[in-house]
Amino acid sequence: MRLAPRPRKNLLFWLGVIVFLLSMSLWSARGIGFSLTELVCNLTDGSRLLRESWPPDLAFLARLVDPMLETVFIAVVGTVVGGIFAIPVAVLAARNLTPNRLTWFADRNFMNILRTLPDLFWAMLFATAVGFGPVAGALALTVFTVAVISKLYSESLESIDMGLPEAIRAVGGSWLQMIQFGALPQALQHYVSYALYAFELNIRASVVLGLVGAGGIGMILETQRANFEYERVTMIILAVLVAVLMIEEVSESIRKRLT
Amino acid sequence: MTQQTPSPAGAIQFRNASITYPNGAIGMKNLDLQIEPGEFVVIVGSSGAGKSTLLRAVNGLNALTEGTVAIDGETVATHSSRDLRRMRKRIGMIFQDFRLVKRLSVMSNVLIGRLAHVPGWRAMLNLWPLPDREIAIDALMRVGITDKAWVKASQLSGGQQQRVGIARALAQQPSIILADEPVASLDPVTTHQIMKDLVRINRELGITTLVNLHFLDLAREYGDRLIGLRFGELVFDGSAKTVTDEDFRNIYGRDFTESDLLEDSA
Repeated sequence: MRLAPRPRKNLLFWLGVIVFLLSMSLWSARGIGFSLTELVCNLTDGSRLLRESWPPDLAFLARLVDPMLETVFIAVVGTVVGGIFAIPVAVLAARNLTPNRLTWFADRNFMNILRTLPDLFWAMLFATAVGFGPVAGALALTVFTVAVISKLYSESLESIDMGLPEAIRAVGGSWLQMIQFGALPQALQHYVSYALYAFELNIRASVVLGLVGAGGIGMILETQRANFEYERVTMIILAVLVAVLMIEEVSESIRKRLT
Repeated sequence: MTQQTPSPAGAIQFRNASITYPNGAIGMKNLDLQIEPGEFVVIVGSSGAGKSTLLRAVNGLNALTEGTVAIDGETVATHSSRDLRRMRKRIGMIFQDFRLVKRLSVMSNVLIGRLAHVPGWRAMLNLWPLPDREIAIDALMRVGITDKAWVKASQLSGGQQQRVGIARALAQQPSIILADEPVASLDPVTTHQIMKDLVRINRELGITTLVNLHFLDLAREYGDRLIGLRFGELVFDGSAKTVTDEDFRNIYGRDFTESDLLEDSA
């Protein structure tokens, strides 16, 4: 049997795509004053910085334990509190569970606003409210966690089998009971998985928030950098790297076991 | 075995009831039907004839677009969710696909039948009152799976899961049980066991029982009263023991084949 002639690839179309991408990149590079020559010439400065940053100041490690713990605590509080608040936000945003269209619409928009504004914005906002420090950081990460989990979880909830919720209705259950017994258990695995994922993001975000004064190891990093203590900076970066890798490894192995 | 509190009667009355779905499909057409307390009624008809629609109209899962359906003289509400929930409290429902909370234990699933009977906060915190737990245990005894009480529902066989479904309905201490194709996803042996359970429970507790079936031999064997539906209309209402092949032909609008019989298709 003969196949129909193979359709010709549209060369002109792909050429256009490549030209478009290239010109966009060049235009953007010019816009931010990026130049290869400058990059190469300054490499020597970079190597000087690297030389000053080595070896890491091992003695400094002892003073990193408490700030590191603080960073983790900020992430834990943000994940737990945000994870709890994310549940109602997700339920109301799930088309198959929300009590009415108006609630759904309002909640969807609320979720979008949370997600659009970056975590740094929330950190600044809460810092003005409760002052710079770990509390502001934890509050910022709470909002960030709600934004991350609610979106994903509401999508999981939209794909559940509606037979069980209907059965809960049929025994005379209320809307809340339909949610608790009919809907949430079906997407529980997803929820735990998203919460762990949010925790991983929060650990990293917590370090960055420290740079702007939200406490934790990020704050130490910022002060040492400002004092040109590069060997300490290296030590901090290594410590963060190891901690983040460890936490992500554990979290990922739990998530794998869930699915 | 603790005593089940005597249930209220469980009479069902349809008056000129019709359901037209938003897409124009007719689920029920001018139905007038009286079902007495304690009756065991089997409903047959080809798929799409409105069997499920009829059952789901009794507990308000499908709202009538015309006419009324009343239970013990009280019209099933179409709008007030409070009234609807109060009526559903005493109407058990059994589904083809069981509809259990798979990750919860058998006991927790049966207790779901008590949801509307206990204060909301108790159910929410899983703090079930002792009498309600005893009712749940009693329900498990009646379907003979007390040994599975603490097993996760997902680990049970199909027949066992359907027994949990029946126990959940019994835990409601219902006056009516609606069984929507309860054996359609079970093998022949389990099918007979589940049908016998339903009949026995109907006899023991006097619960009005409506069962949708698509196997004619099952309908004959287990039904007392048989109702035939075709295109949403009542086309047969009589004894399941004396129903003739001619009657079945009329209900189905065609000659019935081996696939309409459990024993031959199995």
